Amino acid sequence: MARSTPTYTPVRNYAIGIFLSAFLLFSDISYGTFSPLRGLMHASSLYAQMISSNIFSNINNTFSSFQKNAYLLEKNKELTEQILKIKTQDFIQRKDNEEKIQISNFQNDLISVLGSKNINLFKIASIDLRNYLCCSQHRVFLQTTNEVQPAANSPVFAGNSYIGQTKNTYMNFIEVILLSDTKHVLPIKSDFFYCDARGKGKPMLISCKLGKNDDFQHKIGDAVFTSGLGGIFLKDIEIGLISAINSVSINEIEIIVTMKTNPLEETFYGILSKVTDEI
Amino acid sequence: MKFSNHLIILATIILGFWLDDMLNPITISFLLELNFGFLIFSYWVFAMPEKLQSSAALFYGLVTDLFFSNVIGFNMLFFTATSYIIHLYVFRFRIFSYFQLAVFFSGSSSLFIAFKYLLLSPYNYSYIILIVSFFINAVIWLGVYFTMRAFRRNIFLNS
Repeated sequence: MARSTPTYTPVRNYAIGIFLSAFLLFSDISYGTFSPLRGLMHASSLYAQMISSNIFSNINNTFSSFQKNAYLLEKNKELTEQILKIKTQDFIQRKDNEEKIQISNFQNDLISVLGSKNINLFKIASIDLRNYLCCSQHRVFLQTTNEVQPAANSPVFAGNSYIGQTKNTYMNFIEVILLSDTKHVLPIKSDFFYCDARGKGKPMLISCKLGKNDDFQHKIGDAVFTSGLGGIFLKDIEIGLISAINSVSINEIEIIVTMKTNPLEETFYGILSKVTDEI
Repeated sequence: MKFSNHLIILATIILGFWLDDMLNPITISFLLELNFGFLIFSYWVFAMPEKLQSSAALFYGLVTDLFFSNVIGFNMLFFTATSYIIHLYVFRFRIFSYFQLAVFFSGSSSLFIAFKYLLLSPYNYSYIILIVSFFINAVIWLGVYFTMRAFRRNIFLNS
């Protein structure tokens, strides 16, 4: 009777495979060696999605026009077509106007809050929802054109507050690292403290640790602002509200800040094209 | 094995990861992380160990990393390691009951999730997610097993 089961396993090949993949994993986690490659893959898949959705909508249009033609022949073809055209034009015009109003409102908000007119607006292409809801990496991709290529690390604005920073540009898509990403650090302040808030890896949450002292008189619901100390973000922009104050140790507390802007609800994002003197 | 067969296997694994991508944003609020992609890969190695060796696991892992992962090497590493363990005990698995298989593969899948969180998102690491995912993935394994077996018999025995 055999003592052990026969196997097909050549250990050497597996050991090589494991060492190779461990090496790649280590170099990517530690140094981000393959981040341009991943960015390119992401941008390509976004293009593929956009192209395939265009193709599907064209096919749908073709099919529906066939069906409509049959229907229209029964009724009054000319008249119904006219009505449809008017309806469609009206719908498109309304949608277009809504979007224009949305853009202009957002632009006015940006100008009033940031006091700068050098703002480029971008529409969202995708949000990495899988990671945003569960994990540390919180990224958004914005659509851009060849003419407008914002610099890396520019602050990104959405709704009525900052939301993140540009990271890279891949094939007309701007990768934005959100404030809630654990790799992002934002200098913030309030009446009683200055600190560097790090993303919590949870939607809309950032946090910072402070030493306990008697001057600290904050309570939940107090507003927190950018301090401008990092030299990237303008100062005195409201970022969010204190949503929890946790005791970490005997002489240390953690302040959790819930951001004002929810990236899942935003369509347009603004990026300052030039750094202003207010920093 | 023919290259087209590798592509079919890879397509099913990608489909599994795509399903995970679609469903996990919804299920994560119930502290559940589905792992169809990994279970489908494990099934293929379990069903055809003599045809899927280390190089295949490495290749499938690389493609999965490129499309679905935040880092290159994670799926490569886990696919290769899982493939090695399955190859090592493949004949013992043959005499396992469905329940034992479900426990083993769901356990591997929970390990996969645990390492994913520990390496890529330590702030969100949660034992509750692992426990809930273990039980649900055990049930899913049975579904994956029977579905993929029917698929394999249809595709590979007819080709």
